[in-house]
Amino acid sequence: MQKNYFLGKLSGLLILSAVLVLLGTLLGSIGASWNMPGSDQTVLFDIRLPRSLGAYLAGALLGLAGGIAQSLFRNPLADPYLLGSASGALLGVGSILCFAYLGNSWLDIIGLNGGAFLGALIGVLASLLLAGGYRSSLRLLLSGVVISVILGAANSLFTFIRPDLFQSIQSFMLGNTTLLSWSGVAVMAIALVICLLITLIISPVLDALSLGENTARTLGLPLDQLRLVLIGILALATGCAVAQTGLVAFVGLAAPHLVRKLSGGRQRVQILFSCLGGGILLLSSDLIARTLFAPIEIPVGVVTAVLGGLYLLALLRRTSFGAHS
Amino acid sequence: MKTRQLTVYRGPCAILSDLNLDIPQNKWTSVIGPNGAGKSSLLQAMAGLLKWSGSITVDEINLTSFARKDLAKKIAWLDQGSSNQEEFDDSLSVYDTVMLGRIPHQGWLHLPSKPDHIMVEQALQQTDAWHLRQRPFLQLSGGERQRVLLARLIAVDSEILLLDEPLANLDPPHQADFLKWQGNLLTQGKTLVTVLHEIHFALRADFVVMLKDGKLHFQGPSQDPRTHQALVALFDGRVRLEKLGNDWIALPN
Amino acid sequence: MRSTSRARYLIVGVALFLLGFSLAIFAAPASIADDRGVVVVFDKPPQRIVSLLPSLTESVCALGKCSALVGVDRFSNWPQSIQGLPKLGGMGDINIERIVQLKPDVVLLEKASPVIARLNGLGIKTFSLDVKSMADEERALQKLDLILGTSESLRVWNQIQKEIMRAGKQLSSGNKNIRVYFEVNPAPFAAGSTSFIGEILTQLNLVNIIPKSLGPFPKINPEFVVQAKPDVILLTESTVADIQKRPGWNSIPAVSKNQICVFNGDQNDVLVRPGPRMGEAALIISQCVQEKMSSSR
Repeated sequence: MQKNYFLGKLSGLLILSAVLVLLGTLLGSIGASWNMPGSDQTVLFDIRLPRSLGAYLAGALLGLAGGIAQSLFRNPLADPYLLGSASGALLGVGSILCFAYLGNSWLDIIGLNGGAFLGALIGVLASLLLAGGYRSSLRLLLSGVVISVILGAANSLFTFIRPDLFQSIQSFMLGNTTLLSWSGVAVMAIALVICLLITLIISPVLDALSLGENTARTLGLPLDQLRLVLIGILALATGCAVAQTGLVAFVGLAAPHLVRKLSGGRQRVQILFSCLGGGILLLSSDLIARTLFAPIEIPVGVVTAVLGGLYLLALLRRTSFGAHS
Repeated sequence: MKTRQLTVYRGPCAILSDLNLDIPQNKWTSVIGPNGAGKSSLLQAMAGLLKWSGSITVDEINLTSFARKDLAKKIAWLDQGSSNQEEFDDSLSVYDTVMLGRIPHQGWLHLPSKPDHIMVEQALQQTDAWHLRQRPFLQLSGGERQRVLLARLIAVDSEILLLDEPLANLDPPHQADFLKWQGNLLTQGKTLVTVLHEIHFALRADFVVMLKDGKLHFQGPSQDPRTHQALVALFDGRVRLEKLGNDWIALPN
Repeated sequence: MRSTSRARYLIVGVALFLLGFSLAIFAAPASIADDRGVVVVFDKPPQRIVSLLPSLTESVCALGKCSALVGVDRFSNWPQSIQGLPKLGGMGDINIERIVQLKPDVVLLEKASPVIARLNGLGIKTFSLDVKSMADEERALQKLDLILGTSESLRVWNQIQKEIMRAGKQLSSGNKNIRVYFEVNPAPFAAGSTSFIGEILTQLNLVNIIPKSLGPFPKINPEFVVQAKPDVILLTESTVADIQKRPGWNSIPAVSKNQICVFNGDQNDVLVRPGPRMGEAALIISQCVQEKMSSSR
């Protein structure tokens, strides 16, 4: 009985995703239209399709990371950026921009995307080092906060010294889906498959954690190693997404909450649905961002915050009424 | 289960030192002692959660030689009255919660097999929780939750069960149920070790271990008058034991 | 003898009158309204000026009163002579204390500057000028003229116009209706017709692919640029120059024929500041566009 519902919900989410990607090829800088003058048609499929797929994949990576963060730290306010990955990525981008004038070939290869990715990984690594490994959730979270603050201060100093770079960095900060290309899509697709597979395999450890850390250990689970693997996946998924689309706000935080009612408690299902939900959220936001005032674009992070926030508000009101009755 | 010169550490401190215990197989052993005596730590050490030195053996095999999974299959541990279910909206169903007990038996993909489902059903039936199986665990009352957690413990199908204050948050009817289920487990050939601070329950066990200040005060059969004397001495004579029917009650002196 | 003494009285009278008149002119305090609408009174032209906006620094110098500047902001870097002056901070961190120490007669800054109230409270005169377009700069030059007691603004403005026309002529030989896209920022933010840069482009008879309706600096969908097919793309060095890698952009004539103008930091300063160097800005743009268009033939 439960299995049927699961398949039904899964196919529902997948169909919705496909519909959105299709819409993505329809909507663009002149509103909704597939009619393009002449040979531009292929060009637009070179632009709109990778952009739509890319937005979906980035959202999926962020949703996955958010689901992991919330389950691992057992905190409904956790998001993929809390272990210093956001500030690290920002600093990475700033560094590449700052030293671009050196014309070093390494910098060309790494590029802004690579800089963001490496920065995110370094941020999480710093948090882990500061906490001395994953000894306790609280300790790791606090280290993450400390690293975020320190790197954030470094960023502020940065923009103070080079205010001309501020605007470029700001567009990264607000999230940017406008320049997604097929190569970015390929990278994210590979990352998503790897991260999702590994997470789905080891997700029962997250279920076991609901009984408490000690009990989970007595069930024979290599808790410390598994948690480190999950942190690694968190960093990898966040880094990949952020490298392609910048720091899109709220997707990682909202996606797990949006699908919680659907998932029925098991972490394997919850994380899979968070992943799909994140993709749906970010792609929908991208569609709105580019269509509402075409050809002017709203920063996609603004739309995700509004969409996700409104939906969460509706959810909250419904549950509070439920509790009263 | 035997322990020799067991010293249990919590961080750098030795909570228990130099314990030599002989826990009888297929019997119910209760562990009592004043607060801070180290009762919970003893169980945690046996379950592999705390660092210890010395030896702990089951059927003459030292616990350190067990692989992690085998240890989990041999010894199951029930946490003290869990208030750790915070607001995190975890809606895991009762059935799935009990299924967690089967983790030590599952392959690396952790997909439930037919024997797993059978065990879970048996465990839920044994604790009269089968009718609750679809309900979200967090929506249950304290007594119901304890029942489910016991079912989880049973589902592990281990030879040795360690329970830390299992009756603490239950009212008398539920306590009676619990003791009944414990009895069933004993008839199935399990070995039970429970930490209790209710003396009248502790004296219902087959064997009593008394800890004081991190050291063994006394161990012996519960019906033995020497055990009763040791018990009074354990609390510095501030309690006296009265027989009521088949039970011994401890009353303040 | 009566006629000569009358004539003498007449001459002395006129002389006195003229003297008095000129004294009156010089002694009359100048009251000019700044961009906030606040009327600021100058008893005499200020001898010590602090400028917190690069455009205003350059304008004061263009009017010939560079020597009156005693302090500038962090970003003012032209002309050479002011580079040794004390730097008083940038966007969010104006050094109030140092300004006070310099004892300026007036501080020139923009309307939205957060330090106006503080400086006024310390008894320092402030004059706000917002310079965001060509018309703004013309007005600023005129007002500065009144304050500084110079009358150079007309000459300076004519000079600017001449330079712009010269730049325009450079392009008009043969190239008609060149479509351009000016990218300010890789988000991408584009310069529309109503921005200062857009005005320069219009003066050069270049067609901006961004229509007026989108405002001065719209965040544009890159797809729009691909559809609009500009002939030349203009951008600054600090923005990402790997345009070719953008999906679909190599179908744009500007990209495929490599008609991309990249400006360095110094050139960028000239381009984004609506100031007396507008003519130079026009020349920079027209030179590059001319070069790119002719090399492709």
